[in-house]
Amino acid sequence: MQIRSLICLVLGGLAASFAQIPAEMEGMEYETRADGTFLIGGPTFVFDRILGAGGLHSESELWTPAKLRDRLLFNRWSGVPSWTPFEPSVWMKTGNELGDLIYQDFITPENRPSNRTPVLEAGFRTPSFKGFWATARMFQDDHFCSGAYGIRYKMVDDEFSHFGANWPFFSSAYGGFGYTNSFVNASVLAGEEYIWFYTQTSRWIPAHYRPRVEARADVGNLSVTVAYEDIEYQNRIQNETGARKEVNGSVYYKCGKACQRGIFQVAAGMVFRAVDDSGYVYTELEEDRVAWPFMELRVQPFTRLTADVTFGINERDWLVQDSIEYRAPTPKDMGVTVGVKNISGSRLNPLADSYEFLGTRQVDLTVDGQMNLIQSYVAFVDTLGSVALGGRGSFWAEHGAETFDVEEYIVDKEHGLKTRYGNVSRIDEWIKGVTGELWINAWYREMFRFTAMAGFEHIEGDVDNAEVTPAEFYTGFTGDWLLNKTFKISHSLRYRSDAKWNLRSSDPMVVKGDWTWDASFSQMFPKYGITLTGTLLHVLADEVEETVNGGIDRLRFICSAKKTF
Amino acid sequence: MYKFFLLLLGCLATVSLAQPDSAKKAEDWAFSHAAVSIEGGEVYPFGDLIDAVYNTYYGGFGFRYSYWENVDGVVMFHYSYFEPRPKEVVYDGVHQFMGKVGLDWRFKLIEPIVLGGGFACNWTRADYEEKERPGFNDPGGTLTDNETEFGWYARMKIDIVKLEKYRFGLNVMWEEIWTLPKRSDMLYAGLYIERSLW
Repeated sequence: MQIRSLICLVLGGLAASFAQIPAEMEGMEYETRADGTFLIGGPTFVFDRILGAGGLHSESELWTPAKLRDRLLFNRWSGVPSWTPFEPSVWMKTGNELGDLIYQDFITPENRPSNRTPVLEAGFRTPSFKGFWATARMFQDDHFCSGAYGIRYKMVDDEFSHFGANWPFFSSAYGGFGYTNSFVNASVLAGEEYIWFYTQTSRWIPAHYRPRVEARADVGNLSVTVAYEDIEYQNRIQNETGARKEVNGSVYYKCGKACQRGIFQVAAGMVFRAVDDSGYVYTELEEDRVAWPFMELRVQPFTRLTADVTFGINERDWLVQDSIEYRAPTPKDMGVTVGVKNISGSRLNPLADSYEFLGTRQVDLTVDGQMNLIQSYVAFVDTLGSVALGGRGSFWAEHGAETFDVEEYIVDKEHGLKTRYGNVSRIDEWIKGVTGELWINAWYREMFRFTAMAGFEHIEGDVDNAEVTPAEFYTGFTGDWLLNKTFKISHSLRYRSDAKWNLRSSDPMVVKGDWTWDASFSQMFPKYGITLTGTLLHVLADEVEETVNGGIDRLRFICSAKKTF
Repeated sequence: MYKFFLLLLGCLATVSLAQPDSAKKAEDWAFSHAAVSIEGGEVYPFGDLIDAVYNTYYGGFGFRYSYWENVDGVVMFHYSYFEPRPKEVVYDGVHQFMGKVGLDWRFKLIEPIVLGGGFACNWTRADYEEKERPGFNDPGGTLTDNETEFGWYARMKIDIVKLEKYRFGLNVMWEEIWTLPKRSDMLYAGLYIERSLW
């Protein structure tokens, strides 16, 4: 177990070390990460690639069984907007991008800064009464809403949100009931939702869910999720309206405690979508349905060797993700892991729609052939008292990486919008990368924890034909103080080198490397279950657009209060 | 300036650790005492803001609770009505509701002076009639819709009279709101009456 926990430190240490700064919205944890390239277009779109992950794709593009309850936003899996019920509690959150005028308005006749926009959330979940509980939640994130604002507000009839007139990228409200005991956890939620999807043509498409109903049930090792979505589409500029009625969900039988003790550990499930479109829907799912059966298999012939395979297949696509990992015998307080990882498949996200429509033209979102990614890695950790030193090095090679074959760039000067036409394609050659990361972790009891980390990646091959050329270098420093076990101060200071969108505009869009600092302060009252938190995000950094047609990543402040029952 | 504030808050919090050990655990101090207060006084704009609004009055109430042995938590809600100075602004004034959440440190060396700081949030809305509503880019135009901005405050509080249940004293606060093109600074000076709840 000692070794296993050390290995967990190696692989999970980096992720855990910047978990102390709360994200502005659940599902947006990437915005405080240092260890990769995270380019935010808005709360509903991000290019998120961890440096050591291998390959050129964004993590949210890849389907995995861990995302069964994530939302499918166009072709990406997103934790936003999350419909996972909170623990029994009452909570609220508000914040703002800093830089409104307020009384500076009276003395600033020219060069007035553009409007800054808030984040809003409030909700509750009752304590359980004989297992039954009720919940309701309203949440919307108006940050980044400067993205394509000039055209978005003209596309829809009203403010396209539950509150305010900022045309936020999502605005959600739901309520419902649940039942929980030691064997069953079930809930039914219903709500109304406004979401803007960012698509392959770089447009933002408004989708109004009225209603969205989601039912979940976890019974023993079986998890079932079913959602019904009645979605309205609209583009007032083109006088277009459309509707999609969709049923989607999953059934999953996980490997339980008894199964985990065996040499062969098996889990299996099925994901499905069925749609009924009418009018202008802007995308199409081939045959209006997709079913995706999958299986997970873990083989552990002895404790030091683990092989994992996840594969899924249907009549259109197949996807295999596997790894073999060996934990070498080492002295106590030290761990070394050697592994090989492979991802192969005809499509990264086999559940996504098949076509997008740009006017009368059709964009093919699938492509023939397959991608193959292979990565070998070695990771180590060494612990000396209250200091741990770790590192990870890897080599990866990818053939057939999914990309986009641009046939035309279109500029809408009136609205400052850059779109593109073409089809999803592949880079039919090998692209290779080598990565190295080092981190050091120091702590003093529960009171203090400090992490410093750095990583680099060198990529060779036709990377300019990939959607994004990721950052070559990052460094990050995090510090967390827990004073008197009731006051927490967290800081995160990090740097990422240049990244580049290659294919979203005729001139590649370079997102300059920059330093960013986040800081968070929490008053905690453990006896009463109360936490008050104030968080500053994106301090020091230049306020820039990180995605074509995306919003500006501004300095922002968020405060929240929560009382658990 | 906010960087300075963060540093200051961090230092104050760390200094508070130097408090003598007590038999009582930190989490047991929370809410072991609590008090409510009413407060009123004057607000003075500073810097460029002197040309934007006149001095005005403020009033409101507060809630103070014990957090650690020598540290209290504070929540304050105040209201002000600000009148614009430039004639170009067509309406009479702006309603402003202020909320503050922070900590007060009671250092024995400087008793009865208490030092504190925390986050501030101001919500504003112009007091206008629809027929005189300015355009968004006209002077005062942005405040015709609800506008909220955050910032920080630091304060010095002096209990002048201390009775068993009641306290009367002076509260002086410096507030910086994170506006653009410049930050907005104001000084609050007010008197308060506080009643202990338990």
